[in-house]
Amino acid sequence: MASEGGPPSLGAGGSGGWEPARTGSGPDEETFRLHPLTPLALGGRILGLLVVFTLFSLAGQRADQGGGPNVVALTLYGGLAVLVVVRGLITVAVTRYHLFGGELRIDSGLLAKQSKRVRLDRVQSVDVLQPLSARIFGLAEVKVTTAGTERSAVHLRFLALPVARQLRADLLGRAGGGGEGAPEAPERPVAAVPHGQLVKAVLLEMVSWRLGLVLVGPVLTVVGRRNGHGATTGVGVVIIVWFVFLVVIDVWRRISTLWDFTLTDSPDGLRIRHGLLSTSRQTVPPGRIQAVLIHQPVGWRLFGWAQIRMNVAGYAGGTDARSTMLLPVADREYALALVGWLLGGIDLSTIPLDRPPRRAAARAPLWWRAQLVGSDEHVLVSRHGLLSRTIDIVPHERTQSTRLTAGPWQRVLGLATVHLDSTRGPVKIRAANRDAAAARLLFDLQVDRARRARLGRWSPSAPRPG
Amino acid sequence: MEGPFAAPPDHPWSRVSPRLASMRRAVLAGVGLPATVVIAYACGLASATAGGIVGAVGLVVLAAGWFSIGRNLKSWGYLERSDDLMVTHGALFQRLVVVPYGRMQLVDVEAGPIERSFGLVTVKLHTAAATTDARVRGLTPSVAEPLRDRLTQRGEAHASGL
Repeated sequence: MASEGGPPSLGAGGSGGWEPARTGSGPDEETFRLHPLTPLALGGRILGLLVVFTLFSLAGQRADQGGGPNVVALTLYGGLAVLVVVRGLITVAVTRYHLFGGELRIDSGLLAKQSKRVRLDRVQSVDVLQPLSARIFGLAEVKVTTAGTERSAVHLRFLALPVARQLRADLLGRAGGGGEGAPEAPERPVAAVPHGQLVKAVLLEMVSWRLGLVLVGPVLTVVGRRNGHGATTGVGVVIIVWFVFLVVIDVWRRISTLWDFTLTDSPDGLRIRHGLLSTSRQTVPPGRIQAVLIHQPVGWRLFGWAQIRMNVAGYAGGTDARSTMLLPVADREYALALVGWLLGGIDLSTIPLDRPPRRAAARAPLWWRAQLVGSDEHVLVSRHGLLSRTIDIVPHERTQSTRLTAGPWQRVLGLATVHLDSTRGPVKIRAANRDAAAARLLFDLQVDRARRARLGRWSPSAPRPG
Repeated sequence: MEGPFAAPPDHPWSRVSPRLASMRRAVLAGVGLPATVVIAYACGLASATAGGIVGAVGLVVLAAGWFSIGRNLKSWGYLERSDDLMVTHGALFQRLVVVPYGRMQLVDVEAGPIERSFGLVTVKLHTAAATTDARVRGLTPSVAEPLRDRLTQRGEAHASGL
């Protein structure tokens, strides 16, 4: 995947390349433990809250002047803190991980022992995450995602950052058959998101029909004022405050997680790095991206911006939304070129798209015109959305299963929908409301293309899982 | 079935056991009929006409259900092809799924208590995609178990990872 051509250049590229740490060729089996400071990072949030509470009660006591210190509260806080730390210490004491050949094994549990094995050739991605509480102590979490169905990710919380990096290089090296003690692979910058553009993009992303809801508060306030109805005014003001609060929180969350977003390419795979306070460094080995989408919120279309998201097996769709981000904002042309490169040198603009037959308007009144689908020998592409626009792309070799569906109303109109099933993630691809006979032709064609793609896949650069 | 959801030429569908319809009709009669009677009686306490209307509507709905269970039974079909399994079902909402053997992660044979008492099982195919949802209902164990074994075997032979 990364071998030919090289990524389309964007000019900027902030790769803060770290020094390749190298361990000597140790024994075949390596056994590690978690870092002793882990309890502080694990209980970070609770400990932080307890410190704040303690300060508050001390300050309150000083203000009161009289009366002894609030012994009960302080004892309670102290006890809780000790409990949290002890629990963390036990975790550290009983958790061991072993790296042996093509396998990572994690043993944990004080009373109920449990042992997890991860086959490294099944690894879908390796992430080094630094939540704020861990970052303070220079610790990091290693998250190994495998191709299971649910709860298949393995978390190693927490290791010293250099150890975590070395482990990641090791895991990826072994996953790619490079053997243990592999140095970190060199990186090539692909894309970086400038701070200004990110902030603008996040703000513009909020432009949608939901913006109308913002008016509810002010309208209620004004109406209440006019009619001298105090309760209405009160409700209006509460809604305004609540809305501002939600928006600020949401904007802050998005900007802080996507801050300093850089995408680099290395023989290990794509490296995705982002985060202001809590940082995350993902590595997706070559050939692990199952499907891609290019999304343009309505507010971005004027600027010609787009974002790229991906399906990677093992990344959950809903809760793990951040980790499916491939590039939060870039020029649309660049996004198209990048996706074409990622999928092995495809020019998306040469794929002709067509729309459903006119009678589909009876089922999808306005947006039938926007349900475009096209395909070539490598990928199926669908574009949908009238205002915000999304292009979904699935390579034939990544299609899991193919479905054809038709509801009662579709059958009356002689229409059917073809779905290509991909792993869980933001990309959901379908050819909606096609003419029924054409849909069956497309369905059979896709089944055949997927079969041929499965047989003739795996270029030498893509290590074969399983 | 014909049209876009038809089996490929010269390959007729394998059909499921008609006991699937018997089971569903038994559930319909066992649950739907008493429920209709109770609701109609309760309405009848308030007004005799209302009770009559509710009862009549209930019976019509039950009859429609009885009829559609028959149609649904005929819609089920599966076909083992050289590289994939093809499954179709649904009379009102039709669907056709093709699951390549190489993509199967596991094959389940399930049976709930009601299914068991009618001697039926469901064979379910899982891929790495959550949306695949390929299952064949209303199989007898004597058909389902060899089917599962064949599917598993072919899955191993064709395995192509993700």
